[in-house]
Amino acid sequence: MDTTGAGALIKALEDVGCEVIFGMPGGAILPAYDPLFDSKIRHVLVRHEQGAGHAAQGYAQATGRVGVCMATSGPGATNLVTPLADAYMDSVPIVAITGQVARSMIGTDAFQEADIRSITLPITKHSFQVHDPADIPRVIAEAFTLASSGRPGPVLVDLPKDVLATATTYTPPKITTPSRPVLSPVQIRNAAQLIGSSKRPVFYVGGGVIRSGAAQELRKLAEKTGIPVVTTLMARGAFPDSHPLHLGMPGMHGTVPAVAALQRADLLIALGTRFDDRVTGLLPEFAPHAAVIHADIDPAEISKNRKADVGIVGDCRDVMAALSAVITRKTDLTDWWNYLGGLLTTYPLGYDWPADGMLAPQYVIERISKLAGPEAIYTAGVGQHQMWAAQYVKYERPGSFINSGGAGTMGFAVPAAMGAQAGAPDRTVWAIDGDGCFQMTNQELATCAAEGIPIKVAIINNGNLGMVRQWQTLFYEGRYSNTRLGTHQRHPDFVKLADALGCVGLRCESQSEVDGVVLEAMAVHDRPVVVDFVVGQDAQVWPMVAAGTGNDEIMAARGIRPLFDEVE
Amino acid sequence: MTRHSLSLLLRNEPGALARIVVLFSSRGVEVESLSLAPAERGDLSRLDVVVGLQQGRTVVQLIKQLGRVVDVKNVVDGTHDEALELGA
Ligand SMILES: Cc1ncc(C[n+]2csc(CCOP(=O)(O)OP(=O)(O)O)c2C)c(N)n1
Ligand SMILES: [Mg+2]
Repeated sequence: MDTTGAGALIKALEDVGCEVIFGMPGGAILPAYDPLFDSKIRHVLVRHEQGAGHAAQGYAQATGRVGVCMATSGPGATNLVTPLADAYMDSVPIVAITGQVARSMIGTDAFQEADIRSITLPITKHSFQVHDPADIPRVIAEAFTLASSGRPGPVLVDLPKDVLATATTYTPPKITTPSRPVLSPVQIRNAAQLIGSSKRPVFYVGGGVIRSGAAQELRKLAEKTGIPVVTTLMARGAFPDSHPLHLGMPGMHGTVPAVAALQRADLLIALGTRFDDRVTGLLPEFAPHAAVIHADIDPAEISKNRKADVGIVGDCRDVMAALSAVITRKTDLTDWWNYLGGLLTTYPLGYDWPADGMLAPQYVIERISKLAGPEAIYTAGVGQHQMWAAQYVKYERPGSFINSGGAGTMGFAVPAAMGAQAGAPDRTVWAIDGDGCFQMTNQELATCAAEGIPIKVAIINNGNLGMVRQWQTLFYEGRYSNTRLGTHQRHPDFVKLADALGCVGLRCESQSEVDGVVLEAMAVHDRPVVVDFVVGQDAQVWPMVAAGTGNDEIMAARGIRPLFDEVE
Repeated sequence: MTRHSLSLLLRNEPGALARIVVLFSSRGVEVESLSLAPAERGDLSRLDVVVGLQQGRTVVQLIKQLGRVVDVKNVVDGTHDEALELGA
């Protein structure tokens, strides 16, 4: 007996390569915090466990490694539920370690007892509750492997307090790398044939391409074939925005050319993507003329929402390498590109300045992108500002845009930026946040200030729950029920709040100040910075496919339906 | 609603059955009957279940979703002999 369960936990985390844990101690997990005190693993003490979970997600996506968060039993563990659900939806590899009441107390409604394994069953890839301290190293290694292999996702490890406190002997875990699925040569050949004979193909690229580290292979394959590419919200950065083959983002707020490419295609080459309803619009009207090649590491995604003509189970990187090897020639796509090129010219992304003379939110984001550049990391909350961050930041590399796609979790931006910055200390990290979202998790700025994590936060302060207000404008006759936040009346005053949290607080209210303020924020390296960008409340996100309609009804702006009109 | 009888081999790990039952309820699968018994191998159990699927949902899809559960060793569709064999 050379250690305790807690000692074995920390040693095992070191052995599997964990370098940072985001967490908060409490009764049941307390034994683990004692050996952690002496460990080389950095612990970032968060102010709310939700922040720990999103930070682990941000860390994972910025580094491509497994993110780790830790919490005590009961409320500590339940505070991790939202990040676990978020990581499950977006296939983010995180391991959550929770304390639990002692084994003899489980099931007795003990103080701070919550059955976190049962609570999180539908939102974890797998979970463990360890009953023998000797099992801890093996379980930690398995948790890391499960989180990061196949389709990545969250794994929960629940540790009863007495198991942590019991003496044990440390056995170093065997770290296994599971084999990747072997590709079916027949399916690869079938796919190559479809690609070779198609006249209007498009690469429909999802977040799986980023998870599998396949951006290089995608670029190679796209350039070899000359086939246009669209990148979903989760795939922004998988293919350079500056690339001439890139049509932008498809979906509810996608570009007209990207949506048109899917709708008019005769072949979708879907890679690491799941035909989410925010991309397909009304499913029966989605890509009506297209055959579908669907490659995904998760067999359960293939033909889930749209039947695949060729389904390939595999890692995107392997799939694209295999396709590159068998595709020998470029097909003639002149007509297809003529059509798409016309749309690119006629319907570029664009916005109007607010009539009331206030700042345009899109302009703010465009300038941040320009001044911080593609080497920076951008995170976003959920709402209009998120869509503008997807549209107006120009992404050139995978992992540079981190947001909550599947779950749409308000409050994601600040803690995710904290995690990303902890994992990538040499990069500039900008959280593009909403005035609503910011108020859900800004307490983590105190963490950032105390821990020397100098993130930058751009609050796109439109005074409202803007995305909801936009729907009220469009679909509820402008009846603005409960969407005004009072943030234009300085409830709260974000500059003072930033100051109180130990950050630099700046404000910007006019176009002429934007560049100066962004540069001022970028010159601060010793503290987090919050910029309150006070923008107009009536700016809207366009283009838009209204919920429940088909993609052909995409509106480039209110009332302008380019694809619909084309059909008539 | 279509009806299918499935037979699963589960590892005898705590929570394995719960995960299957939660998957059914999350995915809107109706359970008509369910029985769990020890399998030939001591570390496994056999779960026989008759499920009802909503219109538009396929049993192949459900089998693949069950296949994602770490403690599921294999799934056989008794109605159509659709099988998903998983690794050791
Ligand atoms: C936790 C959570 N609660 C509610 C919602 C619903 N919702 C989606 S966007 C939004 C408005 C967000 O407001 P803000 O952060 O100011 O962003 P804006 O749309 O104004 O840019 C709301 C309430 C959500 N996505 N997440
Ligand atoms: Mg807002």
